[in-house]
Amino acid sequence: MGILEYFRLAIRALKSNKMRTALTMLGISIGVAVTILVVAIGEGATKSVADQVNGMGTNLLTVHQGPREMRLTAAARTAPTQSQNTLTLDDADMVMKLYPDTIAAVAPQVRGSIQIRLFGANATSSVLGTTPSYLAVNNQSVRKGRFFTSMENESNLKVCVLGSTAAENLTGNANADLTGQNISVNRDDYLVVGMLTTKGTGQGGQDPDDVVIIPVSTAMQRVLGVTGISDFSISCVSPELMTLAQQEVTSLLRQRHHLQPPFPQNDDFRVANQTDLLARSESVTKTMTTLLTAVAVISLIVGGIGIMNVMLMSVKERTREIGIRKAIGARSRDILMQFLTEASIISILGGLQGVLLGVVGALLLASFGGWNAIVSPTALVIALVVSASVGIFFGIHPAQKAASMHPIDALRYE
Amino acid sequence: MDAKEGLLLRLRDILKIYIMGGQEVRALDGVDLDVNVGEFVSIMGPSGSGKSTMMNMIGCLDVPTSGSYQIDGAEVSDLDDDELASIRNRKIGFVFQGFNLIARTSALENVELPLLYGRQKDRRAAATAALVRVGLGDRLDHTSSELSGGQQQRVAIARAIVSKPRLILADEPTGNISTLQSEEIMQIFQELNDDGVTIVMVTHELDIAKHGKRCVDMRDGKIVDDQPVADRLLAKEMIEELKKPRPTSKQVVAVGA
Ligand SMILES: Nc1ncnc2c1ncn2[C@@H]1O[C@H](COP(=O)(O)OP(=O)(O)O)[C@@H](O)[C@H]1O
Ligand SMILES: [Mg+2]
Repeated sequence: MGILEYFRLAIRALKSNKMRTALTMLGISIGVAVTILVVAIGEGATKSVADQVNGMGTNLLTVHQGPREMRLTAAARTAPTQSQNTLTLDDADMVMKLYPDTIAAVAPQVRGSIQIRLFGANATSSVLGTTPSYLAVNNQSVRKGRFFTSMENESNLKVCVLGSTAAENLTGNANADLTGQNISVNRDDYLVVGMLTTKGTGQGGQDPDDVVIIPVSTAMQRVLGVTGISDFSISCVSPELMTLAQQEVTSLLRQRHHLQPPFPQNDDFRVANQTDLLARSESVTKTMTTLLTAVAVISLIVGGIGIMNVMLMSVKERTREIGIRKAIGARSRDILMQFLTEASIISILGGLQGVLLGVVGALLLASFGGWNAIVSPTALVIALVVSASVGIFFGIHPAQKAASMHPIDALRYE
Repeated sequence: MDAKEGLLLRLRDILKIYIMGGQEVRALDGVDLDVNVGEFVSIMGPSGSGKSTMMNMIGCLDVPTSGSYQIDGAEVSDLDDDELASIRNRKIGFVFQGFNLIARTSALENVELPLLYGRQKDRRAAATAALVRVGLGDRLDHTSSELSGGQQQRVAIARAIVSKPRLILADEPTGNISTLQSEEIMQIFQELNDDGVTIVMVTHELDIAKHGKRCVDMRDGKIVDDQPVADRLLAKEMIEELKKPRPTSKQVVAVGA
């Protein structure tokens, strides 16, 4: 008997119990759909991370605050200001001045939360105080108008550059051009000199476009009232010099902050490079993918057990039929193949249905949920192969049970 | 091989023991039987005397506990499962006790099955011919639930003859069906037998047994009597008899008026 005949027999049997076939298929299709969604989300997340890292500018080092208790002790040691920000503008300036051979640019950054207002519209946004180096260091650009100048920066002027989300919150339009207008930042008027190009993806769920960028000392003195900065970004001269730059910055800051060994335990700051960031994001993505994959595998197993259950039930119900088939000359192998084909058809059809569900689900997630979900053809092929394997794996036991039945016992079965 | 010319079945000292709740049941207790090509054997006996057990043995569906069974000179106990399946498929047509059609499957597809397992071509044509042969040419697409008892049994016969086996085994083929339908089935068997097909049939009705040429009687797993049928019944005549319009009192009145 050829595969085509087994196929015909199986189709006929499946058709004669449509409801049961459909329900069993559903079990598998949910499993496959989940798998496809998971892979899509995983690949989407990986791509987001890659985009982010690419978007951060090349040769980038970032210096962050260290753990809180370190900062407090270090602050108590250096100055009586009680400030929690141990990184200062001077730190950033010194880095720039001392290592011109390794470091191309430094952008100090101070961050905080602000109220912004334009006419009647009110919104909470984040302020970023920095210098004109920010654009180059962070691979950013201005869509309309211009960034503020070094002059404006050093003169502590009240000028700002707006991100698209901040603009949208004020005007309802992300593409609004507010250059030349005054917006109110914490009840103080600031002249909008430029609009930032939309960045889109951000880190840790923050919207990088919900930002108002102003000169760094303006932010520290007028808006936030702090003496230190939050962090600063360093652009190295070349990728090969990043390790050296990292060492130089680290030893300089230890010296400037009067830190004592052991290091790096006693550091009150952290120097991160792109690779670290990437690794960190990737490990988060990996954890998520592992978790979701576990869910997918479990749902496939549940679907498979569903198939096994239904096939066992079907074999029991059709005991007499199996007896008849054997009595008129079916070999054990014929019976085995018949039931195995049934199980495979259920799982392959379920798999196809699941692929459809999964793709639609991924598209929905992408368009409404704001997730980055990528459906790759490889994932679809794998899903189909896996679902067929699930059918064969879980169908083999019931099929063997049917094939090994003794014809007389099967015929006598009531 | 001691297969004589024309000897189809040879059973020697066949023993079949079932263990039921620790109790030994001798379903067949030393059966000797020879059946030649072209015979029509009726097997009779009370319920539980081992008729079905013997039929299953002859039909290669079951193996004896001990003893020798040869079909066409081949010792059945020497054959493996696939060879047994092949014998069942090619040499034997089985009509079971009760109607053993596959549910929710058309008559045609039921009849095609042996050909399918025999890997034969032109199944549709052969199956149609077999169904026409048993008088069901107009019921090809009916499933078993859409057929009467007699019709289902005829589909089973069509399935048994479709691969043109040399031996037909029928276990109570006329149980639970009307006299006329029983006679129609006997007619098919007698025609097949006239064409040279060997038939072994189990029945507990003497009127049915008398359609065969030889009658074997069983008791408690043993053959107790084995004789040619003296006053053989011919189904064709019986059917004519049954179909003859018997005048009812109403008709008599009508004629009289
Ligand atoms: N599979 C079986 N297991 C146990 N006992 C069986 C089995 N098949 C038949 N028997 C017993 O064997 C005896 C003969 O049965 P069977 O051949 O069906 O008789 P018959 O067909 O003449 O009515 C009975 O006593 C029956 O109970
Ligand atoms: Mg019986």
